[in-house]
Amino acid sequence: MRYPFPVGKSDFIQGDEAIARAAILAGCRFYAGYPITPASEIFEAMALYMPLVDGVSVQMEDELASIAAIIGASWVGVKAMTATSGPGFSLMMENLGYAIMTETPIVVVNVQRGGPSTGQPTLPAQGDVMQAIWGTHGDHSLIVLTPATVQEAFDMTIRAFNLAEKYRTPVVLLSDAEVGHMRERVNIPNPEDIELVYRKLPANEEEAKYPFGDIHGDLIPPMPIFGKGYRTYVTGLTHDEKGRPKTVDAEIHQKLIERIVNKIEKNKKDIIDYETFELDDAEVAIISYGIVARSAIRAVKMLRSEGIKAGLLKLNVVWPFDFEMIEKIAEQVHAIYVPEMNLGQVYHLVKEGANGKARVELIPKIGGEVHTPQEIVKAVKRCEKCI
Amino acid sequence: MQVRFAGIGGQGVVLAGVILGEAAAIEGLNVVQTQDYSSASRGGHSIADVIISKEPIYDLIVTKADVLVALAQLGYNTTKDSLKEDGLLIVDTDLVKPDREFIGAPFTRIAEETTGLALTVNMVALGYLVAKTGIVKKESVEEAIRRRVPKGTEDINLKAFRAGYEEGLK
Repeated sequence: MRYPFPVGKSDFIQGDEAIARAAILAGCRFYAGYPITPASEIFEAMALYMPLVDGVSVQMEDELASIAAIIGASWVGVKAMTATSGPGFSLMMENLGYAIMTETPIVVVNVQRGGPSTGQPTLPAQGDVMQAIWGTHGDHSLIVLTPATVQEAFDMTIRAFNLAEKYRTPVVLLSDAEVGHMRERVNIPNPEDIELVYRKLPANEEEAKYPFGDIHGDLIPPMPIFGKGYRTYVTGLTHDEKGRPKTVDAEIHQKLIERIVNKIEKNKKDIIDYETFELDDAEVAIISYGIVARSAIRAVKMLRSEGIKAGLLKLNVVWPFDFEMIEKIAEQVHAIYVPEMNLGQVYHLVKEGANGKARVELIPKIGGEVHTPQEIVKAVKRCEKCI
Repeated sequence: MQVRFAGIGGQGVVLAGVILGEAAAIEGLNVVQTQDYSSASRGGHSIADVIISKEPIYDLIVTKADVLVALAQLGYNTTKDSLKEDGLLIVDTDLVKPDREFIGAPFTRIAEETTGLALTVNMVALGYLVAKTGIVKKESVEEAIRRRVPKGTEDINLKAFRAGYEEGLK
């Protein structure tokens, strides 16, 4: 297999470009999208690469159609992705729910910009965290990843596909305009060194009869993709194990939705990913994710040099959320600070996790500039003084 | 090492930053490159930041520049406060009148005389910067230029880069 970009070496590329290349290396062969700043470079790269790897990249009439198209592609067995930003992401909410309900593995990239509405097209924000988790209606769960560097944009794209395939679920890669447009040196591995996961397929006719059951006892049913000889019914309506609409039976609804939620929730330990920095002996914790985590690492160093024992928890996955881990940290430190580029989103998750065992303070910033390390230090010091 | 290029839209400021960043990446250094420009494609301010280090880089934008390369007065005015007190200021001496110590040359004029194209000023300034600071090797920049400039313009850009480099050796 020849790739339309160098592999097995490092390159100097934008975050958006890294996502496109990683998708190709993860086996993505169908991309449907609608251009939007600051995600357009992903589409540009896909339009260039896809024909060269026997894949398809198609411009749809809008974002509703884009996500619908990748759901269709996934059901014929192709790994598929779309990418957008705030306004387009809002349009994708209905079909994101359809992908959850039909347990369709897809990757949806949201390169966040300032909102609501058309907001600040060229500037970064972290205002879509709650939307990514809860934007579609009804009880549900899914997976949300948050890259902070161009390398992470690359690595997490591959992981997004693997998680989508493993858990038969949509995965949202929540990037932002800063990560999307900045250039960094990225190590692109040899394709044979990249571990790839493929969805479970039915082993036989009998298994194929239950595309929405739990025949393996692991909450994840095999996916009988179209064109392989099985007859499968796929619907957004509440359905039984065979996929037949059953819209008024409380028991069937409960069983289906609880399994969809539990296949994520019960596998939290496998899905959740984080890094810590100077956290072991910390008296003050900073919990951060995405682009702001870079400033937070510097802030921890600066606080330490001024005698404040600070530590960082950097979340690479913001959903599912490890509330128990936050509680443990809250038992160790006296205060937790959450700098984020919004007016408080992950802050509320942290506060719930801390369970009153430590003070939780938000360090919000909106308008399009990433927190500087100095701003985080200043906010921490101001609060530490007021104890 | 924090390097900031500042000018106006149309001077190729961002491309100069990208090529310096690529040259550092070619040498195996860690590098972050970001940019800030107004929505006007010509005439508004344009800034390209390049941070180069052997260590992991957490910074995103230049906060305390070791080197500021200013190609236009507007760019200089917008960014001069970000230059360290003992930082190096490099300017196009025809177009920028700084209010502090500086080095430089008439980059735009050199570009016009060397290639006939004022828009190669970014390569001239880049050459001058590399000669004065040794931040990356000349050969790495030349490789980066070959990779990054539009096909068919490699020679003219390399010529401008070398003219700036020679000027910097003086």
